[in-house]
Parts: sequence; structure tokens; C-alpha cells
Amino acid sequence: MAVAQLERTAPAPEPEPPARARRGRPRLLPYLLIAPTVLGMAYLLIYPLIRNLVISFQKFGIAQLIRGGADFVGIDNYRAIFTDDKFWSVVGRTFAFTAINVVLIMVLSTLVALLIDALGKWMRLTLMGGLVLAWAIPVLAATTVFQWLFQSQLGVVNWVLVALGFEQYDGYAWFADGTSTFAIIVIMIVWQSVPFAALTLYAAITTVPKEIYESAAIDGAGPVRMFGLITFPILRPMFGLILCLEVIWVFKSFVQIWVISQGGPGDATLTLPVYAYQIAQSLNRYDLGAAISMVTVLLLTVVLLAYFRQLFKEEGEL
Amino acid sequence: MKFRSLATAAVAALSLTTLAACGGSGGQDDASSGPKTIDVWLMKGSVSDDFLKRFTDDFAAKHTDVKLNVQIQEWNGIGAKIIGALASKDAPDVIEVGNTQVAQYSASGGVRDLSDKKADLQGDDWIEGLAGPGNFEGKQYGIPYYAANRVVVYRKDLFAAAGITTPPKTREEWLAATAKVNTGGNQGIYLPGQNFYVLSGFIWDEGGDLAVQEGDKWKGALGTPEALKGMEFYKQIQALGKGPKDSDEAKPTQTDVFAQGKVAQMIAVPGAAELIVQANPALKDKLGFFPIPGKTADKPGAVFTGGSDLIVPEASDAPDAAYTFIKELAGEKWQVDLAKSMKYVPNRKALAAQVTGDEGTTAMAAGAANGKATPNSPNWAAVEAKNPIKEFQTKVLTGGDPAAAAAAADAIITEALNSGK
Amino acid sequence: MKPKRIVLNVIALGVFAFAVFPVYWMVLTAFKPTKEIQAETPSFLPTHITFTHFSTAVNADGFWSFWRNSALVAISGVLLALIVACLAAYSVARLKWKGRQGFIVMVFVAQMTPWEALLIPMYVIARDTDMLDKLPMLTLIYFMMTLPFTIVTLRGFLNAIPPDLEEAAQVDGCNQFQAFRRIVFPLLAPGLLSTSLFGFITAWNEFAFANLLIIKEQDQRTLPVWLSSFSNTFGTDWGATMAAATLFMLPVLLIFLVLQGRVTSGVAAGAVKG
Repeated sequence: MAVAQLERTAPAPEPEPPARARRGRPRLLPYLLIAPTVLGMAYLLIYPLIRNLVISFQKFGIAQLIRGGADFVGIDNYRAIFTDDKFWSVVGRTFAFTAINVVLIMVLSTLVALLIDALGKWMRLTLMGGLVLAWAIPVLAATTVFQWLFQSQLGVVNWVLVALGFEQYDGYAWFADGTSTFAIIVIMIVWQSVPFAALTLYAAITTVPKEIYESAAIDGAGPVRMFGLITFPILRPMFGLILCLEVIWVFKSFVQIWVISQGGPGDATLTLPVYAYQIAQSLNRYDLGAAISMVTVLLLTVVLLAYFRQLFKEEGEL
Repeated sequence: MKFRSLATAAVAALSLTTLAACGGSGGQDDASSGPKTIDVWLMKGSVSDDFLKRFTDDFAAKHTDVKLNVQIQEWNGIGAKIIGALASKDAPDVIEVGNTQVAQYSASGGVRDLSDKKADLQGDDWIEGLAGPGNFEGKQYGIPYYAANRVVVYRKDLFAAAGITTPPKTREEWLAATAKVNTGGNQGIYLPGQNFYVLSGFIWDEGGDLAVQEGDKWKGALGTPEALKGMEFYKQIQALGKGPKDSDEAKPTQTDVFAQGKVAQMIAVPGAAELIVQANPALKDKLGFFPIPGKTADKPGAVFTGGSDLIVPEASDAPDAAYTFIKELAGEKWQVDLAKSMKYVPNRKALAAQVTGDEGTTAMAAGAANGKATPNSPNWAAVEAKNPIKEFQTKVLTGGDPAAAAAAADAIITEALNSGK
Repeated sequence: MKPKRIVLNVIALGVFAFAVFPVYWMVLTAFKPTKEIQAETPSFLPTHITFTHFSTAVNADGFWSFWRNSALVAISGVLLALIVACLAAYSVARLKWKGRQGFIVMVFVAQMTPWEALLIPMYVIARDTDMLDKLPMLTLIYFMMTLPFTIVTLRGFLNAIPPDLEEAAQVDGCNQFQAFRRIVFPLLAPGLLSTSLFGFITAWNEFAFANLLIIKEQDQRTLPVWLSSFSNTFGTDWGATMAAATLFMLPVLLIFLVLQGRVTSGVAAGAVKG
């Protein structure tokens, strides 16, 4: 639907969806072309997922990992996690974590994209260069840097705060408090994610013909109305895609949290992927970890179900 | 053009993949002639570079049929790594494991039973703190490697400058002395907030424990008045320095912090002095040791008896060569050398007489009289892996409510120790 | 300048500073003498530049072989993904066949895989097929991690190329493959390059599998695993740590500078065409 709308409103640069029905093609070709993908997925994705599913119905600890011969225990593992209050609080936290991050990312990157669009040439290039720099830094390096920035003794953040007169931040241990650790991780993820989203949105904004804005301006529309009436509707599929990608990426965030806090202090930053990893790798309950990760996949699918339905419908129309 | 080079490279990558996949199954160890290479994992800080070189040179000269490949592992995340190794088909041949963790590996079935070597190694004389954890259901899986307990390592020059001539013997004296040297840009003591072995000692001093067994169920005991009193003292002494409240002694490595020369005391095994001097030779003759002070002068503070065992994974393809290595390292000659150069307690009681006279080991021996162990359960390693005690410490040190923090930690300890029962 | 422009520029500078500061601080720390790093008052400008931290990092045991391993694994994984994705994307974008919808949705779903959850099954599979301690296993995993995104993006690029061009070439006597190679491929090349960027970053960054699947052969480790242990390796040496992180970032940054513009427009194209 979104695509149909887009093609109505925007004079798309590339005209029609590619013609497909060709006569006299060997019918086998398309399947041969996707065969490597399907085979790869079957062996490296679906097969491990099935193994994971099987483990989630077994009693599977260190001994079973080493010696094999795990017993099936039915739905015991699922019952164990579903009756655990901790699991539900982790689920809630994961959704809150995803929502906070994604909202911040979407709002900020839209604003930054519009800002880039409004800037003069030099300033624009400077800002884009800065964003690229922040985007290019590998997650692990960024995580290390943030630990260094917020380090309690020599960290620059504490120094700046003390210099500004907040004496209580002398030697303040940021990672000792749940809320501040959570906040730092959010800042870090937003910082890492905005560049991609903003630059992509900006690239999309440039494809909207300027004449539409000009005529709207003549009608007396302000910048907010213009965004609501023109930019957003035209770029809706774009927003949809980025939203979907960010939801997936944030929901799955693991390295950032694990390296910085391992889900702590307490459970303050414990989200589903971290929880599954923690249970499996620290408590060596691979069975529970498998069950949690299967639930994670299921939850993420439900969250994105609307999007997939949309996708499926669009693909059908083409 | 680009495509062609891309494609060629990718095809190359593909064939690399498949070739390697096929090549993997052939055993390269089939050749019976030539020296056998064994992989040995030792933990970071368990031996000094010096000792390792002396040992490997001697080993190479003596056993030309075995080639030694020693890898030093980080403590951080070692549990998952060892399990990964035990479950693999081609594991390292000898692994050093901490004595609090050896039980779970022995119970897993991935470790070779070495009971028949016990006599050969004079195992009747082994010290209990290492032999016990290495024994599971009557079979000896872990071979005692070395033991050590913590003492206070201090800077004699800084103490002298502050007018302190005799090391403190009671907690009060200790606090007073530490406060005195905590001046002029020097830290009185560098005690990271999450050194839970030190906290354990303070708790034992008060008569408490980390967890208690009731019937066959375990229960976390940090919330008891004794444990909270221990934590209270930890907080007092920790405040007399700049140890990070949210980190442990490995991050950053505390010997490195000490080596920078701005720290008057730290709590570590005496062998740490070796590592400090290695990092900063200027401190060579300035280091002294005293047992962790207790509540009264007649009894030093309780300490955790730490140490390591050596295990041979079932998946090792050279168990005999592995044993050759263990026999050397756990044998008299190198045990005495190791104990002397690293200031450890040797693995056999009879050897202790050969390593007296050193200030560090004397202080350690005094403390060892009051040595204790962590709760004896194969699940204890799981507690240490996601250590709730450390979070408890950080919370209290940063001003949290001790009782509430203890209750939260106790819940996790209780769950972990009873898991799988 | 008009006041509005000035305000915009000031905001832009603020955003710029926020985006760049952590990176700047990392590189600055890497070049600072240790004494300055540990000074009570940090300096915000490079006054005394030193290369000692870089030599510490570079001379650390095995740095170069970890570097080489990382590059090898990342590049071969990405190349593999590009080739396989190219075929699939062509099939999806140009041909009509039964099950196409399902395939596309499957690719999208594949993108959601929480990879950390597959550690244990993957370990078991690798062990049972004698692929532990082998870089090709990592290559295969990175290939699969990057494949779905690569397909989605490449399809976007393909859709942006009018099929008329190929049809015309076919009228001129080319077969379908020739038409693809001579006409579509040159147009697609920039897309291929930019798509590879994402894959490269993913693979270059990956830690969990590299940590678990490389057990005994320590010289087969990759850079992220080494990087994660270096707060231990270097103790309190933040200078060397930051130098190592800088070196870790460098190749990604270089590739980025070359390819960045094409990536974003590629994603944009992919989205606009559904």
C-alpha cells in the first residue's frame, strides 16, 4: 500500500516496476539462482535454529555438552522461565529499552537529516563527515571508548562535570548505578545508530523534488506542515524500513551491553539477548538459554508481524 | 573487470573453505616418530616470565620427545573457554583451573581420571585445599598445582616515612596506619570495590559465611548481621584509597596500579610482589608483607585459600605426554622453585620446610593458619561467573542500602547453588 | 549571514561535536604521553604527540596475525555473501516465479536472527564436523550473518536499473547471462561495493563466535577477541588500549570514506522500490 501511495504522490525517478513475465525462459533458472542462498540458510541458519529448538526441550548442561546424550524433558524449560518473575521483568525491560532507543534514534535522525538538508554546502559536508566518523567506529572500539570516557578516576566526563562545579562527580562511579549505566548504554547506542539513519533519510529527502515544497510555500505552509504534508508521506516506506531495521538492531543489541555491564548492576541492563547469553554461558544452563532465545525470536516476530504482513502484500502486488 | 577479480577471490575463498573443511578430519598426530606437541594452558599471573623460561628450557632439554606449547590465559571469561575446550575433540592437553572451579569440570565427565597417578606423585601428602576440590566421588581429577592466600603487600619506605615502624596487628591499628599513609597523592591502600575474596575474609572474621547449607539446600548468607559487619569494615578500609568501587582486582590489574608507585598497600598473594618488580624494578627492595590483621592481635584475619589444580581433558590426544609435563611441574624440584620464586605454598606439605625464610611466605603462612574455602559445591563456579557478591559490594560502597543489596545477592546465590537439584 | 543560518550552523556544530568527540578523544588519547593521560587536568589538544602507544599495541604478541585473520575472515565472508546474494537478488528482482513472496519474507526474517542464541548449537555443529579452531567456519558464519541484508540491498539496486537495457541487449543477440554481465553488472558494481561495507563491518566486529569457536589455536584469533582482552593485556595502559582501538577502526574508516555516499542512496533506492 505504501508503495502504491508513493507512486501516486511522487514522480518516481525510475518508472515502472521491472517487467518480469518473460516468455520461453527455462522455469528452473530462478530456483537455481536462489539455491545457494537457500542451501546456506538451511545449513547455517535453520539447522542451528532447529538444534537450538531441540536443546530447549532437553536437559542440557555441561555434562550433556561434553558427553552428549541429553534427555528430553518436554516443556520443563519453558515452564521454568515462564513462571520466573525475573524473565517477565527482563521482557518488559527489553521492550522499554527498544522503545526508548528507537524513538530517540528516529526523532534525532529525522531532525539531523532535515538539518543537513537546510545547511550550506561546507557546513553540510563537515557535519556529514562527522557523522560518518561516528558511524565508522566499530562497536567494540566505541564501547571501549565509552568506558574510558566515563571511567571513574581519569574519565573526561567526570572531569568536565567537576570543572563545571558539580563536585559530587569527583571519582563518581557511573557503572555502579543501574540507571546511569542504562542511560550510558542508551546514549551509546543512539550515538552509534543516528548517523546511519540520518544519512539514509537525508539521501531520501534529496530525492523529493524541490518544486513540491516551493508550491507548498506559496500556499503559506510552514516547515512543520511541510514535513507533515509532503516529506513524511512521500518517504513513508523509507521511515518504515529504517524503523524496522532499528527495531531489529536495538532489540538484538548484545555486545554493547555485555562488554559494558554484563546486564548489571543488579539486572538494570539485562535484556533478553543478554539474559539468554548469561544463563547459557555463566550458569551453563544451555537448555534454559535456548528456550529464552526461542521466545526472543518469537517476540521479535510478533513485534514486526505488521511489517511483514505489509511486506508480503506488497510483494504480491508487484 | 572488478567483477572478475572479485569472483576469482571469492572462488578462492570458497575452495579454501571446502579444502580446510576436508583437511580437518585427518589427524596430524598420527605420526609416531618425532616429538609430540602438547598444549598447556596456564592462567595469567600463575607463573612469572622468568620461571616459565627456566622451566621450559629445562623441560626441553630433559624430554626431547615432548614439545611444549604454553599459552597464558586471561581469567576473564575463562569458564566458558574451558568448557568449550573440554567439549571439543582436540582439547589442550593440560589446563590450570582455579580450585573453586575444578569441581564442576570434574563432575562434567570431560576430565581424565588421574587416580592411578596419585601414588607416583606422593599424593597422600598433598595439601587438602587443593586435593579436596580436585577429587570428585572418590576419583582424583585435579592434580594440586600451587596454593596461596592473600597478605597485605606494602611499601616499607612509605610506612617508614609516615613513622610506622611495626606492621599493624589489629583492625584498628590497620585503619590508623592506612589513614596515615593516605596523604600526599599516595593512596593508603588500593582496594578495588569488588575484591570478594578479601570481603570473604572479613566476613569469616565476624563468624559469618557467604552461603550456608541447610539439609541439601544452600542459602546465600550475605544478609546476616555478621556478613554485613564484614562489609562495613570493607567499606571503611576501602575508602582510604582510590580503588575503583565498580571493578575488581583484575580490571585494571592491581599490580600495575601498584607499580606506578602511588600506592602504599594492596591485598594480594605474596607472588604479586614479583609482578610489581617486573613492571617497576625501582620498587625492588621497598616491598614488605604482613598478614591481613584480624579483630584481635593474637589471631590474624581469616583468608581464602586460593590456588590451582592441573587437569587433563578427556579429549587430549596426548595424555601420556601431558602427564610427563604434570609430573615435572607438580614434582618436588619445580614445586620448590615455583614456591620460592612466586611465593606460593607448594602442593605437598613436606615441601613447605624448604621454602621458609622468605618474608612474604612467612606472612602467608601466618595467615594460612586461619585459611578457609568458598562453599563446597560444584555450582559455586556458577556463582562466581556472574558474581552477585561483587554487585553487592559496589552497591554498598556507592551508598546503597546494605540489607537490600545483600538480600538481592542472596537470592541469586541461593538460586545458583540449588540449580539443577 | 542571516540569523536563521547562524542558528542552524551553531546547531550543526553542536551535533558535529557530539558525533565526533568520542572518536576524537580515542585518537587523542592514543597519541598522548602516559603522563598526560594520567594528569588530573586533561588536555583537549594534541600538544605532545607520541607514537609509543601505537608501538606498544603493534608489538603486542600476535597483533599482526590477529589483524590478518580478521581481514581474511571478513573479506572472504563478504565476498561469498556478495556472490550468493547477487544471484538471489537477480532472481527476485528480474524473474517471476512461484514462492518469490515467501522467499523475500524469509530473507527478511533471517535478518532478525539473534545470533548469540545460536552459539551453542553452532559450537556443537562445528565440533561434530571438525570445524572448531578453523577460520573457514567463522567465514561461513559471517557469510550467513551478512547475506540477508546484502540480498535486500542488492535487490534495491537492481530494481533501480531499468530492465529495458537488458532486453535491448538480448535483442542484439546477447544471452541472458551476457546481458547481465555486460549491461547490468557495470551499473550494479557501485551497489555491490557499498553493500559489502555493511558485511565487512559486521564481520570485522564479530566477537562471540570468534571467541567460542577458536579455542586452542590462539594464533587463529581475530582482532575483536584480542581487543576485548586488552584491558587485561595492557593493564591500566589506556593509551595503548586506545591506540589498539584506533588501529581497529582504521580499515573500516578508510572503506567508509570511499563508499559512504553510495550506501545510503542504495538503501534509499531499496526502500523506495519496496
